[in-house]
Amino acid sequence: MDLDALGSCLAMPACVVTQTTSGLIVGMLLFLVAAGVTLIFGVLKIINFAHGTFYMLGGYVAYSVLGATDSYALAVVSGALATALGGVVFERALISRVYGSNVLMQLLICYAVVLIFDDLVKMVWGPEFHAMGMPSAFQVPPLFIAGGVVPPFYAVLVGIAALIAIVLALGLSMTRFGKTVRAAAINPQMVSALGINTTVLFAIVFAIGGGLAGLAGALAAPVRSLSSGMGFSILIESFIVTVIGGMGSIAGALVASLMIGMVRGFGTIGFPGFTDGLIYILMIAVLLLRPQGLFGRTL
Amino acid sequence: MKSRPALRDAAIATLALIVVLAIPLLHRSPAFEDFIIRLSAMALFATSLNLLIGNAGMVSFGHGLFYGLGAYAFALTMQLTELSLPVAIVVAMLITALAALGVGAICVRLGTDYFAFITLAVQMLFYSIIISWQSLTGGDQGLRGGIPRREIFGFELASQLHLYQFCAVIAVLGLLVLRHISASPFGQTLRMIRDNENRAGFLGIVLWRARLAAFTIAGAFAGVGGVLAALFVSGAYPELADWPNSGQAIFAVMLGGVNSFLGPVLGAMILLALNDVVTRFTEYHGLVLGLVILGFALGLRRGVLDFLKVAWPGRSR
Amino acid sequence: MPGPDGKTSGLVLHYEGRDDWAPRVDPHLAQALDAKLAEQAAAHSAIKIEPRLLDQYVGRYGNAQVEITAASDGGQLSGLVTRRTLLAGSAASLLAAPWVARAQANTLRIGMQSILSGPIALLGTSSRNALTIEQDRINATGGFLGRPIEFVFRDSKGQPQEAARVARELVNSTGCELLVDAEASSASFAVQEVVRDLGVACIHTNSETSSLTADPKIRAPTAFRVARQGVHDAVAGSLYLAEYAKAKKLDKWATCSPDYAYGRDTTAQYLQFFKKFKPDVEVIAEAWPKLGQPDFTEVITKLLQAKPQALFSLLYAGDLSAFVNQGNVYALFSQMTVATPNVDYPVMAAIKNLPAGIQSATRYLDTFPNTPANKEWGQAYLKKWNERPTNWSWQNTVAMQFYEAAIKKANSLDAKTLAAALIGLKINTPFGFDGTITMRDDHTTIGYAIGWGQTTPKEPFIVDVKAADWGQIIELETEWKQQHNYI
Repeated sequence: MDLDALGSCLAMPACVVTQTTSGLIVGMLLFLVAAGVTLIFGVLKIINFAHGTFYMLGGYVAYSVLGATDSYALAVVSGALATALGGVVFERALISRVYGSNVLMQLLICYAVVLIFDDLVKMVWGPEFHAMGMPSAFQVPPLFIAGGVVPPFYAVLVGIAALIAIVLALGLSMTRFGKTVRAAAINPQMVSALGINTTVLFAIVFAIGGGLAGLAGALAAPVRSLSSGMGFSILIESFIVTVIGGMGSIAGALVASLMIGMVRGFGTIGFPGFTDGLIYILMIAVLLLRPQGLFGRTL
Repeated sequence: MKSRPALRDAAIATLALIVVLAIPLLHRSPAFEDFIIRLSAMALFATSLNLLIGNAGMVSFGHGLFYGLGAYAFALTMQLTELSLPVAIVVAMLITALAALGVGAICVRLGTDYFAFITLAVQMLFYSIIISWQSLTGGDQGLRGGIPRREIFGFELASQLHLYQFCAVIAVLGLLVLRHISASPFGQTLRMIRDNENRAGFLGIVLWRARLAAFTIAGAFAGVGGVLAALFVSGAYPELADWPNSGQAIFAVMLGGVNSFLGPVLGAMILLALNDVVTRFTEYHGLVLGLVILGFALGLRRGVLDFLKVAWPGRSR
Repeated sequence: MPGPDGKTSGLVLHYEGRDDWAPRVDPHLAQALDAKLAEQAAAHSAIKIEPRLLDQYVGRYGNAQVEITAASDGGQLSGLVTRRTLLAGSAASLLAAPWVARAQANTLRIGMQSILSGPIALLGTSSRNALTIEQDRINATGGFLGRPIEFVFRDSKGQPQEAARVARELVNSTGCELLVDAEASSASFAVQEVVRDLGVACIHTNSETSSLTADPKIRAPTAFRVARQGVHDAVAGSLYLAEYAKAKKLDKWATCSPDYAYGRDTTAQYLQFFKKFKPDVEVIAEAWPKLGQPDFTEVITKLLQAKPQALFSLLYAGDLSAFVNQGNVYALFSQMTVATPNVDYPVMAAIKNLPAGIQSATRYLDTFPNTPANKEWGQAYLKKWNERPTNWSWQNTVAMQFYEAAIKKANSLDAKTLAAALIGLKINTPFGFDGTITMRDDHTTIGYAIGWGQTTPKEPFIVDVKAADWGQIIELETEWKQQHNYI
């Protein structure tokens, strides 16, 4: 514990700005990653334990495409499309068979997928870790805004994450498609009776959820390491976000992500060895005081 | 015709124990003996979890906490004090039971899904404490140096044969006790709560007390499993208290059958055997295990024993 | 086939289209079976064999199926073959069937276990690659004591209880007579307990934690370590960095290491020695990210704000690679000197734009030691496996070189005899700082090449390499051991 350091940081505007900015960056990246899980749970009431695998595949596909074509944009799009497709296949082939089943059965299936793809990734890309490297377009020095350091790459990522947050939130509440999806979540039989193909609907939702995970993986790939098994820590993070924010709430995921980002940003100064512990305590506190999460509806 | 299930269970247990103890007298196979030792630990772990999942309908994602705590409590007691092995086991059980009581008091009031998450969060917190508290637990390296004074009533537990016999006896006894609890009126109360908690409430049952009792008992028995695991590796390692280990117990329960008492034991057997056989042939055991699990989950749709019960009905529980 | 005492140790039986191994029967056991054999006498068969070899073959041989009595009379060797009818034999094979692997005649099996899956799979795979090269080399020169060697590789996934199980299986069921334990830290301690219980010969090759051999309570009589040690690296690194810091006037340092035993203990070790050589060093900030943490952003910004002149980090492999990439985004490397012992070929292969000027140790570098033997080994490995060797590769190679030398010296495979032969053994190897590495009496190796230099984005990736002074390393290591009451 280093409360003096924390105190002196809070007293200095430059420190506050920098750590807040980095907390924002961490938080928004976290949101990008967690959005897919919360969407799928919100609509389908399925906890997608294979979420980390989609993230990992998005990263690896982007890595290969960048290596082949040297275009970051193409790499990101490929990553997202590949996992969106994967999401559909996953839903149709596996998840659809266990709708309404015990949550443990769903967990079992997702876990099996995680195991299979961790090995497949090793077979295709090898056991060693890879790094995508910063695409040439972003190899520029960082910007200085209000005394804080802001790398352009992260500025773009934060922008994209914010955009996705808005699109998801508005899309679910305002578009016809979004309303149908929400209705199907509450009463699938009724929606189906009204002539809407719920099968296609659910597949599309999984496509979006999986695609979001892959997009996050592809976007973060330039600064992170790719290795088999990387999905696990991502899954835990997403889990914590959705629990704190409330399962199924995009707004909740956003707020929770930002909270975690801030806890990490300032926790690393005040509690350098126990930052993780702080987040678990936060999670436990939320579960005790408001179990449905900050923005969740009571189940 | 009056049936005496308790007597029948004891008879089956005795028979099983005799068979297991007799095998090494006919033929020594170190791999088989190691298998049974590890199965003993895992069987207690998984069956105690099923007291929660199958009987009480409480899905705990963090059961590994008590398994790991049992291992550490036992190993530390042996390393730091001069207490004898049986006393150390009792101490470990008590510590684990108390911890389960404490954790349960916080968690059992929550509804199903949240209960799962909070048990997971508490386990992750416990795991990070083990890793951080290096001076006591050895951190991520675990407790090193081995467990001293591994003898009980003349049995030298450093010898594989004696450890095998000891684990077999403890496991069978433990399972018998759990079976007794599960078949008792308390067990029936739990199942009633699982099926319809409102009705149980109307009948005057204090829900949280029953659940807390189940949680404490389950934790204590998981701790005993942890003690056996600690004896096997002659130490204690953080991996025993990590989330994937909780996952192993859940899979054992699911694969074997959540509605059968011996389901978790069978599931543990399947998982361990698969692990042992597959790692001999390939390093891509994840792929094989994943495919097998998919086969079970999609093909059988339920654990093996449950599947058999449905396929061949007629025998009452 | 000659056994260790020069006598024939057994026969290979070719019959029914397959080979079977019939070891020489203990004479006491042979007496007990005489009665049975007398009942089942069968016709003699005469075989022509060179006379001078006859005596070696005289004796009894048997396996589960047959018994052979070989006798020599008047320049001829005759064999009496009978079929065993002992029931236990067949029942045993039935029960043990799923678990017992059939040993090939005469092959010497060596068990190797490591992490072959998951994020650090490279540790195990590069160890395995090196051992495969050694297996081929040793078999080409006749094997150990005339027996061809065969590795049995197993994946423990880095889980200690799995490591313990695998070690026991390798020895008890798969018939391995020697072990090469290529596990990393925690699993190696689990294996150590198994080795202590079973008394088998074992060389740990990838565990760098000093206490495995330094702590007399943890040391085991038949277990040895052929690997670099954390405390050696700490002394060597601190010596180099203290000199560098004095030259460049770097007084304010920050640390960023993974939050687990290796990160915490080794960082403390480095700092302890560092302060000894340069007392005015000041650590103004510390960061302890979690091992495997994907995002270091808040750690990087915290470090940037503390404005140290230099940063010491024990991040490694994928984490180091991610940290470098994320640090580049913040132009971290232009704002402070970075020092880490962990820039090795895999990290260099992964990072496209390796910043120049990072002070790093050479875990393995084919240009240090700058000898033809080292370069040749490195290039041969690259050619065979299409990737460069790692620190783990050379460690496993040297382990086999030690086994080779010890077995030759002791002329035996018995664990205790080998242990006695290994203590104090000095071998010639390209990876020693003076061409040799010695196994000390506390069961760990000294004299391996440790160098520090600075990185450059092109071959050979680390330049201006200075070799560490082993005299000082040993002196300070002894002090450190006394501090911890190991001696």
